[in-house]
Amino acid sequence: MNNFASLSPLLATVGGALVVLLLEVFLKKEKRDYLGFVSLAFLAAAAALSVLCWDKNLTYFRGTLSFDNLAVLLTLFFCLAGAFVILLTLRYMSQHGANHGEIFALLLLALSGLMIMTSSSDLLVIFLGLEVFSVSSYALAGLRRGEPKSGEAALKYFLLGSFASAFLVLGLAFLFGASRSTFLPEIIVHLRMAAAPQTLAISGVAIVFVGFAFKVAVVPFHMWTPDVYEGAPTPVTAFFSVGPKAAGFIVLLRVFLNFWEAEQGRQPFFWALWAIAVLTMAVGNLAALRQTNVKRLLAYSSIAHAGYLLVAVLARDYSSLVFYLAAYLFMNVGAFAAVIGLSKTGTEYLELDDFAGVGFRYPWIGGTLAVFLLSLAGFPPTAGFLAKFYVFSGAVRAGLVSLVIIGVLASLVSVFYYLRVVVYMYMKEPGRQVDIEVDNPALFLVLFLCLFGVLQLGIFPGNILVVIKHAISSLSVF
Amino acid sequence: MSFPILSFVTFLPAAGAVLLIFVAKEKVKVHRFLALAFTLVTLAASLALYFNFDGSSADPQFVEKSGWLGYGINYHLGVDGISLWLVLLTTFLMPIAVLSSWTYIQKRVKEYLIFMLLLESGIIGVFVSLNLFLFYVFWEAMLIPMYFLIGVWGGPRRVYATLKFVLMTMFGSLLMLVAIFVLYSFYYRATGVYSLEIFDFHKLILNPQVQGWLFLGFALAFAIKVPMFPFHTWLPDAHVEAPTAASVILAAVLLKMGTYGFLRFALPLFPDALEKFLPLLSVLALIGIIYGGLMALVQKDIKSLVAYSSVSHMGLIMLAVFSLNMEGVEGAIYQMLNHGLSTGALFLIVGILYERAHTRLIKDFGGVSTQMPVFSAFFLVCMLSSVGLPGLNGFVGEVLCLYGVFKASPLLAILAVSTVILAAAYLLWMYQRVMHGPVVNEKVRSLKDMNKRELGYLIPIVIMMFWMGIYPQTFLRKMDASVSRLLDRVHNRQKIFEAQRLPEKPAAVLEEKE
Repeated sequence: MNNFASLSPLLATVGGALVVLLLEVFLKKEKRDYLGFVSLAFLAAAAALSVLCWDKNLTYFRGTLSFDNLAVLLTLFFCLAGAFVILLTLRYMSQHGANHGEIFALLLLALSGLMIMTSSSDLLVIFLGLEVFSVSSYALAGLRRGEPKSGEAALKYFLLGSFASAFLVLGLAFLFGASRSTFLPEIIVHLRMAAAPQTLAISGVAIVFVGFAFKVAVVPFHMWTPDVYEGAPTPVTAFFSVGPKAAGFIVLLRVFLNFWEAEQGRQPFFWALWAIAVLTMAVGNLAALRQTNVKRLLAYSSIAHAGYLLVAVLARDYSSLVFYLAAYLFMNVGAFAAVIGLSKTGTEYLELDDFAGVGFRYPWIGGTLAVFLLSLAGFPPTAGFLAKFYVFSGAVRAGLVSLVIIGVLASLVSVFYYLRVVVYMYMKEPGRQVDIEVDNPALFLVLFLCLFGVLQLGIFPGNILVVIKHAISSLSVF
Repeated sequence: MSFPILSFVTFLPAAGAVLLIFVAKEKVKVHRFLALAFTLVTLAASLALYFNFDGSSADPQFVEKSGWLGYGINYHLGVDGISLWLVLLTTFLMPIAVLSSWTYIQKRVKEYLIFMLLLESGIIGVFVSLNLFLFYVFWEAMLIPMYFLIGVWGGPRRVYATLKFVLMTMFGSLLMLVAIFVLYSFYYRATGVYSLEIFDFHKLILNPQVQGWLFLGFALAFAIKVPMFPFHTWLPDAHVEAPTAASVILAAVLLKMGTYGFLRFALPLFPDALEKFLPLLSVLALIGIIYGGLMALVQKDIKSLVAYSSVSHMGLIMLAVFSLNMEGVEGAIYQMLNHGLSTGALFLIVGILYERAHTRLIKDFGGVSTQMPVFSAFFLVCMLSSVGLPGLNGFVGEVLCLYGVFKASPLLAILAVSTVILAAAYLLWMYQRVMHGPVVNEKVRSLKDMNKRELGYLIPIVIMMFWMGIYPQTFLRKMDASVSRLLDRVHNRQKIFEAQRLPEKPAAVLEEKE
């Protein structure tokens, strides 16, 4: 149904970005916090507006914007992620000399880019969303202007990101050349036609995949991740680790939902993805073993989690994929929130040695961080376990037993490095004096919401699963 | 619906742990008494299980079942004649463990007790779960408190020991998880219904080759937990580093989760594979018996001596399990309880010595009995119970086990008897060196005898040792029905050898249930 309502969440987000940008000019530097609250209000509006579209399957712009149930879910997901990041930013920015009002506007713009990506089936529109997201995220990565690493992150992200975008456009051109359309259903219909020449289309799909593989950071397109994650302001890193990953995998979901059925090209694609999934899980986890910087460790861990998500794609178990993304949002943002909590004005404690003895000294931050790490490692009764359980059991049902064995062994490796952080927090004597400012209510709010999410999704996800399954089953298959 | 007593027993300790979070850190005494109270109430509640348990029925009792996550994942609890005893063993030893750390743990008492209570919930959960998912959740979740207990309150090499313990256990249990997934998907393919109920899988008949792989997945996890040779390497490390109470729980209850796993899953689910692997497993168990015993002989540290004696004793238990007859399996279960009591008691004894002398090396002691006469009497009883002296519990268990093994294979039984000889050798020799002889170390002269608290937690154990040694009927008769049904499943299951198919689509045929 063609309805303007489908555009409203997006408008709220973009409008929020513009309003915040405008307000910034009139606000004194000390009052920048208000910009955060304004952005939160706009995000809440966007979330409310998107809930109204549930189960209506609205479209706009002649079908190029299709606000189906999955898009509604993802919009909510992004609003939540955005709200978490804004709450984390409030204090962080003034602590680390990056008190620029733009951050909120840029965040909202990046979010709107992600929303565009997930609520369209037209590759050109998806590309548009990706660019909106990318351009704002390059700026976000470089927001700590005094910090050389931040600049390096921005530049690296920009160079490699534009390269990936170029790939995407090239692949898009191939696909358009082959099927005379950028609309996913039409492309797939073309791919299914046995008579049509396939080389062009298949290579188009492959090149488009490379572009997205860069954004979701799967091996071997992951090189930028650790550096960008390390250099970017920590709340922004938290955002990078969940936002683009979710959007990228949802796009893959939309493509592969129907593409797997197209017989031609399935086998080579399947095995290429299989190999990439194995590589991603192995390289991500093994490289994380050697990290001593917690941000870099979490960067490699997020690469490894992309590998688990690919397993879900390969198993065509899409509700598990979405569930995993939801669980990952809570546990990873929670872990980053705790890391942000361990900082004071001008100093961030990011080396593993700084974590020594923190667990008993700051019981709430240490305790919640331990829970998030255990969840990332996949211990029950947390969300991380249930998410892995669904993904891997779905994969076994799809006959991918060897992939699952590799996956569980990779996650065994991950247990080691997640627990190593816990070892430092609880089982080592404190080394360097770590003094942190604990009076940060927004941060604690995020910590407890994430803790709640991790336990809720781990013990009684009930309705959330039902909602996800409903959204997936209502996707149009053609 | 009646009172959900199993849930109560399972989650009461966890509720206690949550309560402790909100008690101020400084109120150490309040923490200790609260923890003790919670474990005692749990014990009382579990005694209610014992009195209301009907030993003539093989079906799980006190069953609680409700839907949870859908797709076969249910909240399903129940105990039968096998798990009942392990639950009781856990609830019986937990207050003792809390008491034994009363003065031993001085740092971070609050966190320590929280983890102890969480551990109790996790262990009980493993024994009462009748749904594979729930079982696995408890099985893994229980690692976390143990990881902290060893890692924070342990000895000098605690970090190494605790990581080795967690990683080795996880290695096995993750492969078991894959095997669970495979079972899950086979059941779905065979029936079109999702299920993870343990007793549903009993109806599933798989072709022998698939069974072999699944059996390996399950058996590896359990063999690491037991631990069977050659997967035992984590055990001496973990035991030596762990604080006394954690050692007690580790030896007395955690190891039993492995043997319980064999009895509950590996045997009844994969009888054909079991037949194939039986010789290998029996030989491994036998190697464990002899190797553990020999290693125990040469240990310099009392605690690691007791740890290696565990390897040896668990080997006998596994051998008895693999004898697959009534005497052997009942003896194995009985011996599981005995081992829990006697090894737990020995660890407590070592703890008492260590708390006074701050050393565990045998050569630092000698002539302790003159200083601590009451202690030496208790030590003697616990040690003899572990050796298997008639009149004490260990004898009954060992006789049953060896009789069962002999019925299955006389040669194995002859070799397995070495466990008794070796146990007598290393324990008596150790006792002699520690308790008798001249006093070589001046410190020994200042040792004080046991206090009331220590008597308080050793006396119940000793009473149980005599009870189990003199009147085993109390215990054995409640397990008869369950064990005979288990063996019935293993021996008389219709065997269907399906033609070999592709690994992706293995045969899974449902047996008609009469």
